[in-house]
Amino acid sequence: MKARRSHLPFVVLLLLAWRNLWRHRRRTIITLSSIAFGFGLAVLFIGLNDGAHNSMVRNAIKLGEGSITVQPRGYLQAPANHKFLPAGASLLAQIDSLGIPGHVDPRISIQVLASTAHNAVGAGLEGLISSRDQRVEMLKPFLIAGEWVTAGDARGILIGDSMARKLKVKIGSKVVLMAGGRGGDSQQHLGRVRGIFDSRVDDLDSFLILSDIALTQRFLEGEGADPTLQPVTRLAVYLDQQKQLQQWKNTLRREVGAADIEVLDWREMMPQLVQFITVDDAGNYIFLSLILVLVVFGIVNTVLMSVLERTREFGLLRALGLGRHQLLLLVFCESLVLSVLAVLLGWVVGGGTHLWFAVNGLDLSAAIGDATAMAGTFMDPVVHTELSPARVAQLTGIVFGATLATGIYPALKAARVTPVAALRT
Amino acid sequence: MTLLSLQGICKTFRQGEIEVEALKDIDLDVDEGEFAALVGPSGSGKTTLLNIIGGLDAPTSGTAHLNGIDITRLKESQLSDFRLFQLGFIFQAYNLVPVLSALENVELIMILQGRPAKERRARAQHYLELVGLGREMNRRPSALSGGQQQRVAVARALACEPRLVLADEPTANLDSENASALLDIMHKLSREQKTTFIFSTHDPRVMERAERLIKLRDGRIESDAVVEQADRAVPA
Repeated sequence: MKARRSHLPFVVLLLLAWRNLWRHRRRTIITLSSIAFGFGLAVLFIGLNDGAHNSMVRNAIKLGEGSITVQPRGYLQAPANHKFLPAGASLLAQIDSLGIPGHVDPRISIQVLASTAHNAVGAGLEGLISSRDQRVEMLKPFLIAGEWVTAGDARGILIGDSMARKLKVKIGSKVVLMAGGRGGDSQQHLGRVRGIFDSRVDDLDSFLILSDIALTQRFLEGEGADPTLQPVTRLAVYLDQQKQLQQWKNTLRREVGAADIEVLDWREMMPQLVQFITVDDAGNYIFLSLILVLVVFGIVNTVLMSVLERTREFGLLRALGLGRHQLLLLVFCESLVLSVLAVLLGWVVGGGTHLWFAVNGLDLSAAIGDATAMAGTFMDPVVHTELSPARVAQLTGIVFGATLATGIYPALKAARVTPVAALRT
Repeated sequence: MTLLSLQGICKTFRQGEIEVEALKDIDLDVDEGEFAALVGPSGSGKTTLLNIIGGLDAPTSGTAHLNGIDITRLKESQLSDFRLFQLGFIFQAYNLVPVLSALENVELIMILQGRPAKERRARAQHYLELVGLGREMNRRPSALSGGQQQRVAVARALACEPRLVLADEPTANLDSENASALLDIMHKLSREQKTTFIFSTHDPRVMERAERLIKLRDGRIESDAVVEQADRAVPA
């Protein structure tokens, strides 16, 4: 005999593990089903969660200042009407020349006091190019009265229904827009209500006033801007592919970033939204952990029972020459096979559920009604599940790792079997 | 030529507060090719002695040499390999791995020994045919009778070419017909392959076929005698 050391090929280990697993077919099926159900539930839950969050982020980007925002440095911390980019046209041309896949919307933000004969409220006046801005696409469906402002309309404004109620205005009403300027001066322009929207986001409906950029440019002129240079408060960059965010942010910082111009992504522009998602995710991870605990106990139960009832068989194998570590590997292999089956079955159940809801969506409107607004944005009431490749890898890794780890204790217990004691049982 | 040599083997167990002397100063030599039976009443120390010879249990004192190797000095991992390459085991019951067929059970030890697939398959088939299970080799243990299972265990023990086969009451759970058939097979293979067999028994049918009877009582060898074989016919 040439080989004098015990040798157990992995294929034989797998074969033994596979057959041992199906020794108690019903028990294994019940265990696999519970793991697959738990895993499927986790996939669905995470998918819905990611879908809802992504929906909020997409809406926030559209309603807000784009994926990437180019604006005066310090504006985010201390917004002021005198902070603007004086040469908007040339900056826009420079950005356009970079060939960013998506588009760029010039905007002017003015903090105003909107007043009528009945009331006065603080508001944010947002001037945009009404023919092409993303916000038009986003808010136009929510117009509940009047019509959208037309290009070059230097008077027309759109307001939310909450503000309309406060100011007691209707379509055609006049609203005085007064803005503070540098050095304590103020300027005012007259606006006329062209339309009223109800976005279902209270922050917008009670604070936002939209107009064509022509109206807001008049305020900047009052701040000393040269209208021929087409001054703007910011340029909102919308990317077709969000995964290119970091790449284009870096490019923009390199190409247009300056001492007085900063380039920020949506996360930096909306920290409250990022925080909301982080807190919400934390709650979901606790829920997932509970599912994981159930899954782990399911596997421990199956493998440990299988080990305890085979003590004599392990004694026999040890007596015949199977090494302690080989016995450990054998039992661990059973957990490995169970884990692989559980994850595969889990993905069939969870993946199938995900695909269905990704296409058809889950209509939550009956459950949540109009309460879709949160953290300055809103969630579509029909949530489509979304799972990124990273999430798939994460979920697979967590469940596979946890189930595999559960095999350690039964394997150690099996390896401790001594042949004489086991054969006596 | 001496295959097994035991010198001053003692084994003491603790049962609660009491120390039980299972084996007391056993000296024993077994030559190659012997077909020897350890006999004696229950509690006489047969199984304990077999366990020590098989490296499954360690003596409290004394030495046990098999084929020149002092078993009592081997570490646990060395003992596993020792059992794998030097010994064949046949136990009283529950001898086989339930999830493997008869053929796979016989092959398993040869897989552990690292033998090539073709060789081990051929050897397993050959030995299963020798024990009369040529047609049942693909059945799992649950589909075999007790006698057939013990024959698979014999095939497994011999297919891996051990120096010594240890059988602990191999016929205890078998009826007369199956017990006789099993003993005939063991004896025949022992003769043909010159494999040394030591088996424990208190079954008179087994004792009848033994060529050497080592009688144990209260942990000591009471008698050790070679049995006259002249009148015994070894089945073909």
